[in-house]
Amino acid sequence: MQKMANNDIKELIIITTLIFLLAPVFILLYVLVYNRRKAKHAEEKVQMKLAFDAEIVKTQLEVQEQTMQNIGADLHDNIGQLLSLSSLTLNSIKLDDPAKAQQKIEAAIDLTGRSIKEMRLLGKLLQGDQLMGVGLSEAICNQINWMEKSGKYQVNYLHEGEPPASSNLDKDLIIFRILQEVMNNIIKHSLATRIDIKLAYIGQNMQLAIDDNGIGFDAGKLPAAQMGMGLQNMNKRAKIVGGEVFIKSQANHGTQINVVIPYP
Amino acid sequence: MVLFMLITCITEITGELLKKGHHHNQWVYNIFLVFEASFTSLMFGTILGKYINSKPLILSGLALITLVYIYDLTNHGFLKFNELTTTVMSVVFVIYSCYYYFLLINDEHYIDLKRNAPFWWVAGALFFYFGSTACNLFFDVIKDVGIAGHNITYYIFAALVVILYGCWSYSFICRKWLTTT
Repeated sequence: MQKMANNDIKELIIITTLIFLLAPVFILLYVLVYNRRKAKHAEEKVQMKLAFDAEIVKTQLEVQEQTMQNIGADLHDNIGQLLSLSSLTLNSIKLDDPAKAQQKIEAAIDLTGRSIKEMRLLGKLLQGDQLMGVGLSEAICNQINWMEKSGKYQVNYLHEGEPPASSNLDKDLIIFRILQEVMNNIIKHSLATRIDIKLAYIGQNMQLAIDDNGIGFDAGKLPAAQMGMGLQNMNKRAKIVGGEVFIKSQANHGTQINVVIPYP
Repeated sequence: MVLFMLITCITEITGELLKKGHHHNQWVYNIFLVFEASFTSLMFGTILGKYINSKPLILSGLALITLVYIYDLTNHGFLKFNELTTTVMSVVFVIYSCYYYFLLINDEHYIDLKRNAPFWWVAGALFFYFGSTACNLFFDVIKDVGIAGHNITYYIFAALVVILYGCWSYSFICRKWLTTT
């Protein structure tokens, strides 16, 4: 009888000990599995950071490329023409006719003055490329000045709210690139004459609103290929900084583009 | 650590010699409890110290163990083994182990646990102290239950000690890797 009781106790103790040993096994397994998930999450974070950095570099390059294109076009179309005209005017001066020569010299001075003005604008546009140096609002102003210069567009710019003390240069760059793309689209497709741009800091968000009175488009009817890399890029860029792009447009009723990004 | 291992060996040899001479040997293990509680607390203090200020927790645990140790001694004298102290000490160390894993999970930094010395040291302690709970709780009932000439606790503790020192040895290897790579 005593032996049976002892056997029962033995079994009970061994089984209980095994159960007590199983509990730490599960705890360790849980910690190991959780840690593996943590590793995966960390790896994903690194990948996202790399993708983000790559996108920022790409955006930087695109901003520079766009600026260079604008400058190149300006040099060719405006400053080049003005200087050629100045040269022609100066060449055509005949010193034996002082009155006419005076008139031509004044015309050449005027043309040179306009060239200098154009060069200054180009210089500012180049500064706009250096967002870090001038700040987002100033860079937008330079871009607008360059656009207004053509005389085809009436651009109204409104700046609302104070930017936070600590700015976010990556987000500034992305917003600026989106603005450049929108302006490119307006120049290429919209036939707009009036553009309203508003940069606002509302709560924890930065909002960029661009309205034009151009021919607009029906986003629903645009084929995917025609939807354009530009619009897709805008969306993609806004998303990598946690923002969104809202596009509202109707044929012959202009286009409204709203970009909202958490800031800073 | 080396000193603790030396004390452990001396305790085991003394215990075995006393047993062979048919003397009481439980008082030797009562003395060893002091070293065990101190060393393990010190180790947990160092390991938990990476995440929290571990001093208040470890000192509270030590104070509790000391109180129960004194209670055990006054209750049944020095020659009988302090079961209650062992049980309370096991519970305290199991709580430390679980708390360490909780802190480890909440730490957002990834650690390669397969090569992490503290992780395996705590694993050994958790297996040993949690696994010995049944023996500690039923010590009075099983002290006369034997298998093949040895008490049942002999086999259970032999298995637990293999797991404990297996984990601790691997922990030392991890530490060695850390210092040499």
